[in-house]
Amino acid sequence: LTSLRSTVARLFGESADPVEGAPAADYVLAPRTVEESARILDFASEHGLAVLVWGGGTHQGLGNPLEPDLLLLTSRMDRIVDWQPDDLTVVVEPGVPVATLEARLDERSQTAVLPERPGAATVGGVVAAGVSGWRRYRYGSTRERVLEVLVATGDGRVVRGGAQVVKNVTGYDFPRLITGSLGSLGLIGRLCLKLWPKGEAAATVRVNDPREAVDIAYRPLAVLETATGCFAYLAGTEREVAAQGAALGGRVQEGLLWPEHPIGDVVVSVRVPPASTIEAVRRLGEPVSFVAAHGVGEVTAAFGPVQPTALEALRTWAESMGGAMVMLAAPDGFALDPWGVPPQTLDLQRRVKAGFDPAGVMAPGRLPGGL
Amino acid sequence: MAVLSDLIADLIGELGSDSVRSEPLDRRLFSKDAGVTRGEVVAITFPRSAEEVAAVVGIAGAHRMPVVVRGAGTGLAGGAVPSEAAVLIVTTRMTGVEVDAANRMAWVEPGVINLDLSRLTSPLGLHFAPDPSSQAACTIGGNVANNSGGPHCLAEGTTVSHVLAVEFVDAEGDVFMAGGPAPDPIGLDVRGVMVGSEGTLGVVTRALVKLTPNPPAVRTMLMAFGDIADAAATVSGVIAAGVVPAALEMMDRPLIRAVENFLHAGLPVDAAAVLLAEVAGHPEGVAAEADLVVAMARKHGATEVRVAQDEAEREVLWKARKSAFGAIAQIAPDYYLHDTVVPRTRLVEAVTEIYAIAKRHDLPVLNTIHAGDGNLHPKFAFDGSIPGVRERVKQAAEEVVALSIRLGGVLSGEHGIGLEKRDLMHLVFSAVDLDAQARLRDAFDRDRRFNPGTLLPAGSRCFDFGRQPPAGVWV
Repeated sequence: LTSLRSTVARLFGESADPVEGAPAADYVLAPRTVEESARILDFASEHGLAVLVWGGGTHQGLGNPLEPDLLLLTSRMDRIVDWQPDDLTVVVEPGVPVATLEARLDERSQTAVLPERPGAATVGGVVAAGVSGWRRYRYGSTRERVLEVLVATGDGRVVRGGAQVVKNVTGYDFPRLITGSLGSLGLIGRLCLKLWPKGEAAATVRVNDPREAVDIAYRPLAVLETATGCFAYLAGTEREVAAQGAALGGRVQEGLLWPEHPIGDVVVSVRVPPASTIEAVRRLGEPVSFVAAHGVGEVTAAFGPVQPTALEALRTWAESMGGAMVMLAAPDGFALDPWGVPPQTLDLQRRVKAGFDPAGVMAPGRLPGGL
Repeated sequence: MAVLSDLIADLIGELGSDSVRSEPLDRRLFSKDAGVTRGEVVAITFPRSAEEVAAVVGIAGAHRMPVVVRGAGTGLAGGAVPSEAAVLIVTTRMTGVEVDAANRMAWVEPGVINLDLSRLTSPLGLHFAPDPSSQAACTIGGNVANNSGGPHCLAEGTTVSHVLAVEFVDAEGDVFMAGGPAPDPIGLDVRGVMVGSEGTLGVVTRALVKLTPNPPAVRTMLMAFGDIADAAATVSGVIAAGVVPAALEMMDRPLIRAVENFLHAGLPVDAAAVLLAEVAGHPEGVAAEADLVVAMARKHGATEVRVAQDEAEREVLWKARKSAFGAIAQIAPDYYLHDTVVPRTRLVEAVTEIYAIAKRHDLPVLNTIHAGDGNLHPKFAFDGSIPGVRERVKQAAEEVVALSIRLGGVLSGEHGIGLEKRDLMHLVFSAVDLDAQARLRDAFDRDRRFNPGTLLPAGSRCFDFGRQPPAGVWV
């Protein structure tokens, strides 16, 4: 180990400082470029070092826990490389914080439609985790907006997929494959996102019946339900927002008053067909807090101390509806699989992963089925 | 041909004689799509279910014969044209639709015609958003295979944004499901790579598609310009002003004249270019956006602005756009339709250069452009019976590709790579990139049983890093 340690130091520099919240690792490196990342990953594959890529740490609760040998931080890859406001595209490095990027894009009233309450999340982390903001009801998931990726694969190649254009069928859709792959294929070294203009006006409207709101409002940004009530989120021209607010009939507040993310000992994401959102909320039991995205079918719920068995029925039901219940946070040793029943294409997914990461060093075992 | 007759006998044994054809005329008819390439078909099958598809895949595999899938054959890039002798699966008998109105989704079999789906769901106030110009003929299976677009994918996204799940038959003849009706299915996005894979990864036997609410208000307008640069500046101006219209189409003078000649819609034949813009959504929003589009056009010197006053007028304007292909027949018996993309801010450079290319090769060129997303469709008109003309068309086409890539664009925006552009892939991807794509293909279909020779150039899998996967990984 000592000689390996000195080799790593000689090749890639001294270890970076440990990161709060990250699992202990023998090596912590913070490469500056995708090429440098690729050289490190080539080394990791050669020596069989398990690698965990770390951005803001916000979504690291997803998936089976890991004991990485090498922690790769994206904190030094934090440039907004190329923003083309007239083309509605932006190229960024993975370590750019979501909040930084959205603040910058807001200067021209544009948005990458990344999560609205990102905390410390980075753009690379959100894409790797496949997480979407609440505005997905109107604009689709994050995956819909990743136009190009540059990836350092598990075995140290630099692979590009997609392009910096908004419409493209040139080759297999690597941007979609990489999105949500949770660092299991490689490190995202650079990506191009499609942007949307923000409306000139925005409002939050209190509504009584979320189903009715989904039916009445024409493409609101979101219809969310929390313990405090149901709200429709609108954006567009002044007159459109006013007319839609009046049609919904509830109290209209200016601006978008997004809820806080549920926090608790145990946090789950229940995913069901959109029309089953109400039933999913009903089946939560006694959560500490929750946010339900009507029209989408996603309910995030936080619980206090809860037995795994209490959540099993919820998972079984969600899976019977063609969905899933995914653990977002749980105490150590919580006896419930983070994913549930693995997808039917698990063997195929193994072969896909092997194409990117033949030595199996990238986030080993993290995905469903221990992939 | 004893081997072939065994194959055909096996197929007939499984599907029945009314579902298998192998006469020379049939084989010739099904040997090409709507593009220019022709291939060799040994048998044409018309399965009715995923089980029958699986049986065909199994029988073809046993006879070491590749399988190529075809919908309505409206593709232009040769994606449904075999690169070597193959068994064809034609999906046109798989036409089941199961609408789930509450969830705004539908399970659709691959042979369903695009427009039929939207007609079926129209009473529910819903439609299938991708609307290629061939939508009256093309199938959903073909849309899935090519990740098809259409004018309205500017705001709504291409087919992949509207496919939630795919059921497919793999190279072993097993049936799998990827994706589902709930958001963010767990694991790697197999659905996402199946869409647009041009029949090389598996045979899609069913897709769960998203249905989009019909907009409560629509406004369509035609704007004429004396200079194509003014039309392009209007496009950039509209997008930069924070409006993404439902559609933003450009047509140039040669095309307008050809269309007007047979449509007699009163199109502005003296304009250098026209823009066809459509805004859709809430009535209040639509009114404001339409005003903005018109103001932007006038600011950039529009010589004429015509706003459709009713649905009939709107249909005439769209007919003008979607008749572009037929209109070319007046100019020359043949045409070569191109499909490349440039960043939408580079449109003027692209079109100016396309005119220069056409002039250099002495070919008439007519342009329809999905201007909102930078998707170019120059059409070179020619008479294929004149010696040497095809070579000139080919040369011009290659120059258009080179130009698009120089401007930061790609080979194809919505028609696919197929056989047509397979050997140009190296212009946009490095050997390492292509190797990664070949690895993905191998993960699905190592023996290249599906549509071999299409999409990726031969020799893409050119790297061997010498590392073995760890024990237990099944590759």
